[in-house]
Amino acid sequence: MYGAMTDQVAASTPEPQPGPRVLFIEDDERIADEISDDLRARSFVVRHEATGTAGLAAAQAETFDVMIVDRMLPQMDGLTVIETLRSQQVTTPVLVLSALSAVDDRVSGLRAGGDDYLTKPFAMEELAARLEALLRRPNDTRATMLRVGPLEIDLIERAVTRDGRPIELLPREFRLLEYMVRRPDRVLTRTMLLEEVWNYRFIPQTNLVDVHIGKLRRKVDAPGEPALIQSIRGVGFMFHVPD
Amino acid sequence: MSRIELFRTATFRLTLMVAGAMVAAMLAQFLLLYMQMTHFEARRSEAMLHREAEILARQPAARLEYLIQHRATDDLRIVINDIGLFDADGHYIVGDLQLIPDGLKPDHVVRQITVRAPEDEPYAMRFLAVPVDQGRILVLGRSLHMLGELEVMTRRAMWLSIVPTVAFALLMGVVLSHRALSRVKTMHEAIDRIMGGDLHERLPVARERDDLERLAGSVNRMLDRLEHLLDEIRNVGNDIAHDLRTPLTRVRVRLERALTTSTDIDTLREGIARAGDDLDQCFSVITALLRIGEIENGRRRAGFGTVDLCQIAADIVDLYEPIAETKAIGLHLVVPAVPVWAHGDRDLLVELYANLIDNAIKFTPDAGTVKLVVRVTATGPESSVVDTGIGIAESERVAVLSRFYRSDKSRHVPGSGLGLSLVSAIAALHGATLSIDAGDGRAASPGTRFRVSFPEMPRPVVRH
Repeated sequence: MYGAMTDQVAASTPEPQPGPRVLFIEDDERIADEISDDLRARSFVVRHEATGTAGLAAAQAETFDVMIVDRMLPQMDGLTVIETLRSQQVTTPVLVLSALSAVDDRVSGLRAGGDDYLTKPFAMEELAARLEALLRRPNDTRATMLRVGPLEIDLIERAVTRDGRPIELLPREFRLLEYMVRRPDRVLTRTMLLEEVWNYRFIPQTNLVDVHIGKLRRKVDAPGEPALIQSIRGVGFMFHVPD
Repeated sequence: MSRIELFRTATFRLTLMVAGAMVAAMLAQFLLLYMQMTHFEARRSEAMLHREAEILARQPAARLEYLIQHRATDDLRIVINDIGLFDADGHYIVGDLQLIPDGLKPDHVVRQITVRAPEDEPYAMRFLAVPVDQGRILVLGRSLHMLGELEVMTRRAMWLSIVPTVAFALLMGVVLSHRALSRVKTMHEAIDRIMGGDLHERLPVARERDDLERLAGSVNRMLDRLEHLLDEIRNVGNDIAHDLRTPLTRVRVRLERALTTSTDIDTLREGIARAGDDLDQCFSVITALLRIGEIENGRRRAGFGTVDLCQIAADIVDLYEPIAETKAIGLHLVVPAVPVWAHGDRDLLVELYANLIDNAIKFTPDAGTVKLVVRVTATGPESSVVDTGIGIAESERVAVLSRFYRSDKSRHVPGSGLGLSLVSAIAALHGATLSIDAGDGRAASPGTRFRVSFPEMPRPVVRH
């Protein structure tokens, strides 16, 4: 899970272009350094602030593509920072980090204006995948037909074909496939899928998501066909149409 | 123990209060007695004056004068202290009274009048004036000295009874407080030893069932409970340490092996990635523990609302069906056609069902069945998860709900060992009771039924 982000991502982001600008407000210096280094390695441009007030000032002075805000900060707590920014019409997407895991805390984080909520400890891949999700809105077209590579999805009839071959899907499999197809070439972690496809906020004891993906994959990727649903070891899954 | 300490004890104060109350009661008694006596004496004097006046008034004038003159030798003087005879105009005729006291009229009424004789201190007496022969006026007087004597007697008797009573009460107070203090002192010493870390120490309790003993008994029961809780915490601490040590050891070994034996970058990566997975397991144990603590603290009520248990059950079955299929286990949903409302937190209830189903699937052999049943009983909504798995022995049914409990039969099954603790914490937060009994299986695999009984909804919910 650590550093296992494989070639797919590296290939899809050409080298020198400056990446998205991240404002990262976190008071623990060691965690902040680790995370900042990792994000820079993923070509993010990171600005780190250690206090709520400094972070707020930075967010007001410059424009960022995305912000990571820790809940507990010295001087001014993270939720206040977000609320202040939202009241000033700053709409930059915010990922809230917290050591508090309760749903209550999550709800208050999202109510304050956060767009996503991640509980410590987390894997870097999870953080990166979620930042990616905040940066790129899903392809929410109004179209009733999604066509991606060999796949054709009829959203009204709930029918799926691959190169004309009909694929029978259960409602839950259809929902999962639709969610993935709308977010192609993006790492989707197990927690993200569980939270967004099923709306569940617990960590299952079993490899639930893997089993669901496995079932879906066997239907979508027939033997001999190139794999559209790929596993990324230790991280999650990705919908990718090979060139 | 110092003298001051002795006087400060509750017992001493109580004795003082009792002594005070006794003195007050005695004073009241004496006052009442004195009043009764004076009243009696006043009535007696009046009666005497009237009787003597009546006898004297009947005498002829000359005889009356003679009697008055010789009164000093008569036994009349014991009863009547002053006497005087006056003519109709109030002029003195005979007797030791020279003047008619002010305000006295010959009307048969006894009056108390202060006499101011020129050479004497003023003094109060009771007087009675009656008309006699030839329009003369006879005045009789009786002194109040009996009343004074009564007062002196009463006062003396009062002091004689109050002083020893108070002295005795004080002495008793000192003795009793001394006793109480020495009992409290032994308790203090015991408490000091407990605070010093000796948690097995208890307060001394003898056979007297008085209030102090009962308090000591309560304190001892509290100490028993605290000791039990501390033991539990200590055990949980040990369990956590054990449960974390295993995966952490694996992490260490993997990293070491990756470091020493890897010849290429891919093997190194593989080793580190596996170590990461093991660390995740540690985190999942820690996270589960924190969640249980959080839920048990009962702080999570913000998410409470009206939820349909049937809907949650259906969602969970939908989520777990593929897993059940991989083991060829039939996962069945048994719900009524109408919603079953309960007051709860959807996310937590999902977690509760998920843990129960997860557990049931884990402990049910291939081709078995797992049923999720939601129904309404007389006491409220109820849901149960029934499997045909290995079952839980009756003796183990309470223990399985405790943290990290792993039945010997289930040692080989992976898991944090915290799932059921989480379930019971969530159930408790919802005011639901969790019970375990045998499932539907046959003798070889009796199966298990986990039953969650919710309380009745507080009030009917109208939905459309």
